[in-house]
Amino acid sequence: MLDDRWLLWRVKRGSARALRRLYDQYEVDLLTMAASLLGRSDQAEDVLQDVFVRFIESIETFELTGSLKGYLATCVANRARDLRRRDRSRPTGPLETAERVASRQPGPLQGAIAKEQHERLSDALAQLPYEQHETILLHLKAGLTFREIGAAQDVSPKTAESRYRYGIDKLRSMLNGEAES
Amino acid sequence: MKRARDIERMVQDLRHPVDAEAHDRVVGHLLDALKRHQTQSAARQPHTGRMIMKSPMAKLAVAAAIIAAVVLGLFEFISTDAGPGVVWAEVARKVQASGSLVLRIRETGSLSPGKSDYAIKYFSPAGARTDVYKDGQVTFSQCTNAETKTTTVVYHGDKRYYSYQRGEGIDGFLEKDEDWTNPIYLVQQILSVEHTELGEKTVDGILCEGLETRDPAVAGNVVDMVDSLDVYLELWVDVQTQYPVRFESRVVAEAEGEVLDSECVMDQFQWDAEIDPSRFELEIPDDYYKQM
Repeated sequence: MLDDRWLLWRVKRGSARALRRLYDQYEVDLLTMAASLLGRSDQAEDVLQDVFVRFIESIETFELTGSLKGYLATCVANRARDLRRRDRSRPTGPLETAERVASRQPGPLQGAIAKEQHERLSDALAQLPYEQHETILLHLKAGLTFREIGAAQDVSPKTAESRYRYGIDKLRSMLNGEAES
Repeated sequence: MKRARDIERMVQDLRHPVDAEAHDRVVGHLLDALKRHQTQSAARQPHTGRMIMKSPMAKLAVAAAIIAAVVLGLFEFISTDAGPGVVWAEVARKVQASGSLVLRIRETGSLSPGKSDYAIKYFSPAGARTDVYKDGQVTFSQCTNAETKTTTVVYHGDKRYYSYQRGEGIDGFLEKDEDWTNPIYLVQQILSVEHTELGEKTVDGILCEGLETRDPAVAGNVVDMVDSLDVYLELWVDVQTQYPVRFESRVVAEAEGEVLDSECVMDQFQWDAEIDPSRFELEIPDDYYKQM
C-alpha cells in the first residue's frame, strides 16, 4: 500500500516519527497473532520487539514486494514457531489476556461477555494443530493469500488452504459445541 | 449456530490488548535500534545510505511506488463515472486482472538530478525487474526471481553487485496488484476523491480519454504523514482497449523538513505482456565484484 511504502521510505531515512507510526499501525494485529500462537503476553511482546529490531537492522536492503503487514506477520509467525520448537511446550489458557480485555470494556456486563468470547476463541484456537492455527491467523489477521502462506510454511497453496478450511471447521465445531452445551 | 463466516469475523475481531508500559518499552528499544543502525550504517559506509536513497533507482522506486499505487487507486475511484468511450470500471478490472506488465518510467525534478533518463520495469508471476538507463546504457538493475527467491542488485557503473535470499514469499505482479489495490483503501478513494474528466486526446497516436485530480486524498494515509502534499495526476486510457497508455504526475511532499519532489511520466505500457522467465535471471559479467 502507498502508506506502507511511504513509511518505509521515511524509516529508511531515519525518521523516528515514521517508525512509531509503523509500529503503532501494526502492533495490535501482530501482538494478537504472537500472543495467540505462544499463549503468553510477555513472550509475544518480546517476539514483536525482536521482529521489529531485525526489520530495522535490515531496512537498507529491504524491498517491499507485498504488504508490509504481511511481511511482518510472516516474521512473527516464523519467530513464534522457532520459540515454540525451542520450548517444546505450548502454553494455553490466556487468562491474563482475557482479564485485560474485560478491563477495557465500558461496563461489567460487556466486559464479562467480551472476556468470555475472547477466552473461548483463544482456547479453541490453542486446541488446533499448530499449522492450522498459524494459517488461520496469517490469513485472517495479516491478510496473506494461501500462496503467500504456502511459501512461508514451505507447503503448496492447496495445503495452506486445506489447513485453513480444516481449522475453521474445527473452530466452528468447538465453538458451536460449547454454545449448545 | 455459528457459520464459518461468523468464525472468520470473530478471529478478525480478536484483539490482544496492548499494555501501555510494554508498548513504551518496545518503542524505546526500536528507536534505540534505529539510532544505532543509522550510526553504524554511516560509520561502515559513509555515503552508502545517502547514495542508496539518492540513487536514481531509489528515487524511481519511491516515485514509482507512490505513483503506481496512486494510479491503481485512481483506476478505482474513477470507476464511479463512466465516460462515453472509456468504461472506467472496465479499466479498473482489466488493470487488476493483468497478469504481467512492462512499462517505462521517466522522472524529473529535485529527486532526479539527471542521473538517469528512464527505467523499464517488468512484473510477472516469475519475478520483478527494473533496469535504469542513462545515455542508452543500463546503469543499474534490480531483479527478483520468484523461483529462487533471490534479489540481485547490480551497479553497472561500479561493476559491483550483491544478492540476498528473501525470507518471505515472493509474489509476482498479481500479488503486488492485490497489495496496491487494498479494497478498503480503494473504497475510501471512490467515496472521497474528486476528479475531472479531460475528454478525448490523441496520446502517442492513440485516441484516449483522460482524467485529472488534484485531490490530496488520492494519496490516502500519506496525507497524515506529511506536513504538506501537493498532487496532480493525469491519466489517459485507450478508448479501444480500455488500458492505460500514459500517466503523468507531479507530487511535492514535505515531512520533517525534507521535500520529496517528483514529476513523472509512465508510458509504453504492455499489459498482460508475455515475459520470458529468463528476464528474471540476471547474468553477472565476470569482471563484476560481489559486494558482501
